[in-house]
Amino acid sequence: MNLTETGQSRVNGYLFVLERSLKTFLPTDVVRDAVREIESHLRERIATSDGSPNEREALERILKELGPPLQVAKAYSAERIVDEAIATERFVPMLRAVRHLAVTTVVGFGAALGILIGYLFGLAFLSLAILKPIFPENVGIWVRDGHESLRTEFPWRLGGQFPIPPGEHVVGGYWVIPICLFLGLLVLVLNHRGTMKFLNWWRNRRVS
Amino acid sequence: MEQLRRGGLDLAILLAVADGPRYGLAIIQHLEAFTDLVVGEGTIYPILGRLTKEGLLDASWVEGEAPHPRKYYRLTRSGARRLREMTAEWRGFADKIDRLIAATAKRGEDRL
Repeated sequence: MNLTETGQSRVNGYLFVLERSLKTFLPTDVVRDAVREIESHLRERIATSDGSPNEREALERILKELGPPLQVAKAYSAERIVDEAIATERFVPMLRAVRHLAVTTVVGFGAALGILIGYLFGLAFLSLAILKPIFPENVGIWVRDGHESLRTEFPWRLGGQFPIPPGEHVVGGYWVIPICLFLGLLVLVLNHRGTMKFLNWWRNRRVS
Repeated sequence: MEQLRRGGLDLAILLAVADGPRYGLAIIQHLEAFTDLVVGEGTIYPILGRLTKEGLLDASWVEGEAPHPRKYYRLTRSGARRLREMTAEWRGFADKIDRLIAATAKRGEDRL
């Protein structure tokens, strides 16, 4: 089947959408190669098609069998998403990879749950550091009234409470801020490293 | 079943190029002739890309053979080794499931 100008525009439009979608997460040289391969596939399919009942329907059938460009891009994303996260070590690709593994595998789901809890802990510590200067009476280490020493109040309860519960108050001062900042950053860094280790383990497991 | 299909697809693609290099569409047509693993033609190319990146396949563009260039895939040495392992694993897995099905069917007959 030889394509008319309209048919050619339809193919170009398909490849354009595919290229734009792939460019959002793949390096340029990989995108160029992938689009070239899909174009080669389409050219071959078109060349061997008898064009029945008409060009439009024959072309739509070929494109349908290939799949919508966004679906094809999604398939590339699923295959490359972990590699991208490991290569860039950036937060967003890493979260995207963890999310992908969480919805496709049981191990990934368990790991994603652990990673989410880790990030929440880190963010909670940082939130306390930010809130302490704004609400000094509501954020800190909590003790029952009459227990002014941390030695008599164990386990320690660090956090923020709104409003202040009766019979309790915070002890200590603004030294809670550097401690919370340190703990928050430590938890976030360790969690990030743990996530990268998990993704590396996952990739090596897939390759081996 | 989706996990099984995905696992089977890697093996099927390696098998498709085991007896010589094939280009993308030829691999798809080979798989379609023997299996129903291909649910969308466009989903095969990303898998071919991954297998190439993992060093199991080697890819190269060939021009002049057709009016358009074709990207051929061939099995690498490491791919051939992986194919042997996957084939053995698959046969072992299928044997166990077959035995389980046979045993379940036999117990069902005995109860009747």
